[in-house]
Amino acid sequence: MRRAIRLEFDQVSAGYDDRPALHRVSFRADPGEVVALTGPNGSGKTTLLRATLGLLPLLGGRISIGSTSTAQLSIRERARWFGWMPQSEPIREDIRVRQYVLYGRNPWIGPWESEGPEDHEAVDRALAAVDLSVPPERGILELSGGERQRALMARVLASEAPFLLLDEPTAHIDIGHQIDLLERVRSLCHREQKVALVALHDLNLAARFADRIVTLHRGRLVADGPVRSILSPDLLREVWGIVAELKRDPASGLPYLLPTLPGPVVRSGGSAFEGIVHVVGGGGAARGLLQRLHGEGFLLSLGAVHLFDSDSELARELGIPAVVETPFAPLSEAVRERHRELIRSARAVVVAPFAVGPGNLANLEDLVDTIGARPLALYEPPGLPARDFTGGRSEPLLQELRRRGAAVLATLDEVVGWADRAVAARERMPPAGGPAGAGGPPGEPSRGR
Amino acid sequence: MARIGGPDRPRLRALTYGALLAGAFIVLFLLAGILGPVAIAPLTVFHILGYEITGGAFGGSPCGGSVDPTRCATLVLIVWESIVPEILLAFLAGALLGVSGGLLQGVFRNPLADPYLLGISTGAAIGASILFVFGVGVAQANLTLPLLAFVGALLTGLVILLAARSPRSSIETLMLTGVALNAFLSGGLVFTLLYNPIGNLQLNFWLLGGVFGATWSQVGLLVGGVLVVGALVVLHGRALNLLQLGGDVAQSLGLDSRRVVMRSILLASVATALAVAFTGVIGFVGLIAPHIARRLFGYDYRRVLPISAVVGAILLGGAFDLSFAILPSTELPIGVPMAFLGGPFFVYVLYRYRQRSGPGAET
Repeated sequence: MRRAIRLEFDQVSAGYDDRPALHRVSFRADPGEVVALTGPNGSGKTTLLRATLGLLPLLGGRISIGSTSTAQLSIRERARWFGWMPQSEPIREDIRVRQYVLYGRNPWIGPWESEGPEDHEAVDRALAAVDLSVPPERGILELSGGERQRALMARVLASEAPFLLLDEPTAHIDIGHQIDLLERVRSLCHREQKVALVALHDLNLAARFADRIVTLHRGRLVADGPVRSILSPDLLREVWGIVAELKRDPASGLPYLLPTLPGPVVRSGGSAFEGIVHVVGGGGAARGLLQRLHGEGFLLSLGAVHLFDSDSELARELGIPAVVETPFAPLSEAVRERHRELIRSARAVVVAPFAVGPGNLANLEDLVDTIGARPLALYEPPGLPARDFTGGRSEPLLQELRRRGAAVLATLDEVVGWADRAVAARERMPPAGGPAGAGGPPGEPSRGR
Repeated sequence: MARIGGPDRPRLRALTYGALLAGAFIVLFLLAGILGPVAIAPLTVFHILGYEITGGAFGGSPCGGSVDPTRCATLVLIVWESIVPEILLAFLAGALLGVSGGLLQGVFRNPLADPYLLGISTGAAIGASILFVFGVGVAQANLTLPLLAFVGALLTGLVILLAARSPRSSIETLMLTGVALNAFLSGGLVFTLLYNPIGNLQLNFWLLGGVFGATWSQVGLLVGGVLVVGALVVLHGRALNLLQLGGDVAQSLGLDSRRVVMRSILLASVATALAVAFTGVIGFVGLIAPHIARRLFGYDYRRVLPISAVVGAILLGGAFDLSFAILPSTELPIGVPMAFLGGPFFVYVLYRYRQRSGPGAET
C-alpha cells in the first residue's frame, strides 16, 4: 500500500474559458477521510471532480497531492492517483463484467503490455470488496442497476488509487444499495487510509457516511466542516432554499434533517434565495457592478428598478432576483416593501451611482430606514456626472448613509474586495453553538473524530 | 485464481468460426476459377498455383498432365496474371476497408461510421481523379495515381482531425463533419470525372470500384501496406475498448483519449487511402465488416479489428466471385456485387445474432 497523502485544493477556479464554474475554492482532505461534496444542482460539485481529474482546465489556483501539483502529472500518472466514478457511463456494448473491471487496471498496464497476474489479482480483490456475486462472464448490460453500480465501483477500486472521486454514486440505486455502497467506501477509506470525495445530493446520507461536509453554492465554497456541526438551518435555507428542521440521531449523535412544508420560499425574482449582496441600482448604473460581482460568483439581488431599464434586463439575463416597478411609474408602496425586505435579508448592500429622480428617490429613503448595521458601500467612480434630479433632496440622504459608516469605493476591484470581506466574515462562520471549529479559519481541516 | 479465458464454449465457437473463415478464403479462390471467363477446374487451379509458387521446381506441365499445352499456357495466363492478383487485390482492399471501418466505428462509437460515410474514400478518389484532368487514364496509372489518391484520403482525414482539435467538438459533431465533407467531395468527384476526356470507364471504376487489371506489383505494395497498418492497428485494440466507456472515463483510466482518436482517424485514413488508390471507391465493406465481426466474436476490439479485416477480405473476395457469376464477360464494377452480396448477408447477421442489451444502457 502507498503512503497516505493529503489532497489539497488551493484557491481553485475552473470552468470553460470565459465561464468559470468554480471560484477560488480551497479545502483539504486528509488520508482516511470521506468528504461529502454537497450543494444544489449546478453548484460546481461535478466541475470540482472533473477539474481534479484534469478533464477541465484550471483557471487559477492549484490542486496538490502532498507537495506535487496535479498539473505536473501525466494522464497515466493521474489515473494512478485518482479513481473516478462518473455520474453515468454511456456503455453501448455488452462487456463481460470481469473484462470491465479489468479496464480499471489500465493505468498500470503499459501501451505495449497486456494484463498480468497481478492485474487479475487486483480485479479479484476489487470484486470481493464490492461483494459482486454475479458470474464474471455475465455481460455488463445484463446486470441490475445495483449490480452494475457495484461493478463500476469494482472498476474504480481495481486501480487501487488512493483518492476516490465519486460523482453521485447513489443516484440510480435503491436505498439498500446506497447504504451498502457508502458503507463500503467509508470502511475502505478508514482501513486503507484512502481519501474519498463523494458528490452527494442526499444530505442525510452525507451526514451518515461522511467525516466532513463541504458545501458549494454557485461555484463557491460556502461551508466546510465536520458533519456534527456544519449542517445548520441557515445553511439549508441559504444554499438549498429550504426550511428544514435539524434533528439528532440519539444513538450516534449524527444530525439528520426533516424539510418543513411548504418548501422553498419563492421571492420576487423567482429564485428560492434572496441574495447575499444586494445592489441598489437603476437606469443601467448598476450594469458594471452586477456583471463583475456575478462573474466573481457572488449571490446577488437587485432593487428597486424599473421594468425594461438596462439594469433590470441584465438582472433577468443573469438570473438575479430583482424588485421591479412598472416603467416610469414612481415606486409604489408594495414594491418599496418588497425592496426593504430584500435589504433586510441581504448580507451586504452596494449602492450603484444611479441617477436619482423623484421616481426612485424612495430607494435612498428605504435604505436609510432599513440598512441598520449591515455593511453598506457606495460605489462612486471618479468623474461621475451630476446624478441628482430631485432639486437636492438626494444629497442629505446619501450623506446620512455616509455618516452611518458606508464605505465609499471608487473602483470595481475595491467593491469586490469589500464584498468578499463583508460576505465571508459572516458566511463562513460556523453556526452558533457548534462544538468544533468555531473561530477557525475557513478550510482548516478538521477530522471530526 | 479464476479462469481468464472464460468457459470453453465461447472458445470452441471462436475456433469453429476461425476454421470456417480460413476455409472461405480457399473456396473463394477456387470459385473464382470456376466462375471466371474460362471455367477452370479446381484441381487445375491448384496445379497452376503450385507450379507458379514453386517456380516450376517439380517440373511437368503447369496444369497437370491431362491439359493440352496450348490451352494450358492460356490458363496459366488467366489464373496467374489475372484472377490471382485480382482476387488478392480484392482480399487486401477488403481487409484494409474492414479494419478502417472497425477503427472508425470504435472511435466514433457510432455503428454508422465508415470510411465511405466520412468522406475519406471519396477524398482518395478525388485525389486520383485529378489526374484525369490532365488526361491520364487508369491504364497509364503508375504510382502517381495511388500517390494522389493517398494524398486525397489523407487530406480528408486531416480535415476531420482539424475539426477534432477544437476543444468543443463532440464525437457527434465530428461524425457529422465527416458526413458533410463526404457530400461536398462527392459533388467534386462527379464534377472532376465528368471533366475527364477519356470517358465513362473511369467514372464507373472510381465511383463503384474494381479490381480488374490488378498487377502483382499492386498486390505486393498492398501486402506491405496491410502488414504495416495491421501492426499499428493491433496496438489500438485496448485503447478502443476503453474508449467505448466514453472519452472522459477512458482518460480517467490513463488513456490520452484525444490522441487515440487522432491516431485512429489517421490510421483509418491511411488504410482507406491504400485500398481506394488501387480499387476506386468501394462502399459498404467498411460499414458491415466490423458489425459482422462484433456479432460473431463479441465486443473486444483487440479481436474486432483483425476480424473486421478478415471479414472485409472475404466479403470483397466474394463480391469478386459474384461479379463473374452475374456477368462473366464484362468488367462489372465490384461495388455492384458487393451491394448484392453484402446487403442480404448483413441483414441475415443482424437478425440471426441478436445484440444483447439490458437495462441502464443509456442515462
